[in-house]
Amino acid sequence: MIAPPELLDVHRGPLLLAGIDDDPGLDAHRRRVGPLPDLALDRLLDAATAGAVRGRGGAGFPFARKLAAVADARGRRPSRRPVVVVNAAEGEPASAKDEALVRRAPHLVLDGAELAARALGAREVHVVTAQDRSAAGWAVDDALAERATRGLRWTRHTAEARFVAGQARAVLELMAGRPGLPVTGWAPAAHEGHRGRPTLLSNAESWAHLAAVVLHGPAAYAALGTADEPGTTLLTLATPPGPGGRMGRVRVVEAEHGAAAMTVLDPAALVSPLLVGGFHGGWVHPRDVPGLTVSSHHLRGLGLSLGAGAWLSLSDGSCPVTETARYTEFLADESAGRCGPCRHGLPALAGEVRGLAEGADTRRRVRELTGLVTGRGACAHPDGTARLVSSLLTRLEDLVEEHLDGRCGCAAPQRAPRAVAR
Amino acid sequence: MSRGGGDGQQLRVDWPQCRARGLCAELLPELVVLDEWGYPVVLGPVRPEHTDLAREAVAACPRRALRLVRR
Repeated sequence: MIAPPELLDVHRGPLLLAGIDDDPGLDAHRRRVGPLPDLALDRLLDAATAGAVRGRGGAGFPFARKLAAVADARGRRPSRRPVVVVNAAEGEPASAKDEALVRRAPHLVLDGAELAARALGAREVHVVTAQDRSAAGWAVDDALAERATRGLRWTRHTAEARFVAGQARAVLELMAGRPGLPVTGWAPAAHEGHRGRPTLLSNAESWAHLAAVVLHGPAAYAALGTADEPGTTLLTLATPPGPGGRMGRVRVVEAEHGAAAMTVLDPAALVSPLLVGGFHGGWVHPRDVPGLTVSSHHLRGLGLSLGAGAWLSLSDGSCPVTETARYTEFLADESAGRCGPCRHGLPALAGEVRGLAEGADTRRRVRELTGLVTGRGACAHPDGTARLVSSLLTRLEDLVEEHLDGRCGCAAPQRAPRAVAR
Repeated sequence: MSRGGGDGQQLRVDWPQCRARGLCAELLPELVVLDEWGYPVVLGPVRPEHTDLAREAVAACPRRALRLVRR
C-alpha cells in the first residue's frame, strides 16, 4: 500500500500558483485575476489553441481538440446538453499537484470549467476528488459554496482511494452511480459520456491552464515557456514512500515549459535515479538526469512522458531494483481485478520483480510478462506497470547488474552467489 | 490501411467482460491464441477471408466480450 503525502510544500509559481500566499477565496481571486468573461465557443477554442492546453494523461491530448469534439457532438444532437467534468481524483499517490491546486487556487480551476460550460451550453459541472485527500474535497466544497450559480449546477463526487479510480472512464462510472472502476470505452466520452451525453472531462490542472490563458490573455501566457509549449506545468517532486507506505513530504512546483531539470531538482536528485511520470512512468539513469528538460516534446523523444508530472527521485540512496519491486507489488494490489491479463499478469510480474530484488536473474520472464500484459486491459494500468518495470531493465541496466552482483550496496541480495535464471 | 487489413476491421476484446472461456480461439485459431491464463491474444487485423469466421466468433462468445470494430 502506498498512500499520498500528508505534507505538501507548495511553492509560489508564475501563473497557476501565483496567488498561493493570498486568500484562496473568491473575492481575493477576482481581485487577482479580474472578472470571468463569457466567451463564445470559437474564442474559447482560440484561447485553448493559443495556450496549447493539454490533458495530463500519458498522451497529453490537446484540450482544444476535445473541446471541438464535444461541440461537434452537441451540434449533431442538440437535444443532448454537454456535461463538464473536472477530474481532481489524482489516484497516483506520488502526485499532489491537483490537490495543491484545488486547495490553493480552487477558483482558477472552477473558472476554467465554467468558461467551457458556458461556451458549450452545459448546465452541469461535476468535480471529482479522492477520498484519501479529504482536504481537497473540503476546499472544493468551500469554493463551490462561494460561487453564484448563474444557471450552472455544480456537483462534487468522491472517488475511492485507489490508483485506477482517477482514470477517466472510472470517473464516469462513479458519476453514473456504479463502482468507480475502469470499463471498456467503445465511443469517446466527448461523443457519448455521462448519461450518453457529450462529456468534456479534463484534469484539474488543464482547467486551470485554460482559465489562465483567458484571464491573463494568450500573450501574457505565452510569455512563459517556449514557442512550441507556451506556459507552465505543475510538477510534484517526491522521494520514496516511507516503510509504512506513506509518501513523505513532497514539493509541488510550477515550472515553465523548457526549464532545465537542474532548476527544479535538488542537488542530490541530479545524481540519483529519477522516476519520471509517477508509478506508471519510466526510470531515468542518473547520468541523464541533469540533461532533462520540463517539456513533453523533449521527454517523449526519450520515450518518457510528462504525464501527471510526478517525479520521484532516489536521492535518499534507495536501490532502484528494490524500490521497483515494491512499486510493482503496490500496482498489482491496485488492479481492479476485472481484466484477466491484469488480474493474473500483474501479481506474476510483481513476483518476478521481487525475485530480481532478492538476487535471482528473472529478467527473461519479466520481459515475457511485460509483453503479455501491455495493451490488454480496459485502462492503461497494465501498460503503465509494464512501462515502469521495462524501464528498470533497459534504462538502469548497469544498476540492475550491480544489484545482482551484490555490488549495489543495498541489503537485499548480498548473500549472492548469483542465483540461476528461472 | 496497414498490414493487409481488407475493409479495415479488427477484433477487440471487452476485457472486463472476458472470462477466458476460449471459444474465440477455437473458432478462429488463425487470429486468436490464448495466453497462459486462457485469455485471448488477438494477433492482427481481420483479413477479408476471415471476416465470416470473425463474425461467428463474436456471436459465439458466451460473455459477449468480443467485438468487430473498424480500425
